[in-house]
Amino acid sequence: MQLGAEGVFVGSGIFKSSDPPSRARAIVDATTHFEDPERVARASEGLGEAMTSLEARKLEHEQLLSPRGW
Amino acid sequence: MPPVVGVLALQGDFEAHARLLRACGAEPREVRVPAELDGLDGLVIPGGESTVMTLGIEREGLAEPLRDLQAAGTPVLGTCAGLIMVDRDHLGLMDIRARRNAFGRQIRSFEAEVEVAGVDGAPMRAVFIRAPWIEEAGEGIEVLASVDGHPVVARQGNVLVAAFHPELTDDPRLHGLFLEGVGR
Repeated sequence: MQLGAEGVFVGSGIFKSSDPPSRARAIVDATTHFEDPERVARASEGLGEAMTSLEARKLEHEQLLSPRGW
Repeated sequence: MPPVVGVLALQGDFEAHARLLRACGAEPREVRVPAELDGLDGLVIPGGESTVMTLGIEREGLAEPLRDLQAAGTPVLGTCAGLIMVDRDHLGLMDIRARRNAFGRQIRSFEAEVEVAGVDGAPMRAVFIRAPWIEEAGEGIEVLASVDGHPVVARQGNVLVAAFHPELTDDPRLHGLFLEGVGR
């Protein structure tokens, strides 16, 4: 937002977190009030676990997208 | 001192309005919380998505302060979703009922040359994006433009609405019409 974007697109970041409704509300709040650091800090509290991210190097060969297809 | 015009900045294309207001000689101020309404000479409710905007207005406790601002005589301009926000079913700032996505879904978005009463010169190049139209209008509503027989620009007292997006072109004439009210 500080770089001039009009919004933030989030999908799995919400749905794969431990508490999706709270995280969705927090992202809306933090995006709307991106110029108010206190509000961003408050929105960031008590959200449970974030989505677990995967490391490409640790994926099994058949889980990679790059070797799929023909 | 240039007039200070608020732009509701909870969601939508508030930045485009701010740019055009600045080009018209006004000083835009983004509004996200009630305190930011203090001392405004005018207010723009931009285009965006009316359900998201309604939720944002509830979350921030802005509905009553917005009604108070309009009731105090401050000019209000609503464009696209902003037209929906001022209708009877939302903030109730204007005696109209808007029909959402009235022209159809995204594929039915279009541009048209629209003659607007009170806007001098050539017709405006109007950008309609999943635009609403005014389905019902009360007695005191002055219709300034229509498309296919449906009102798309209208005024009632200090509230001016357009179903299209004047902020997405470089034509400042509708903002000029709005700012005439601000100068009073």
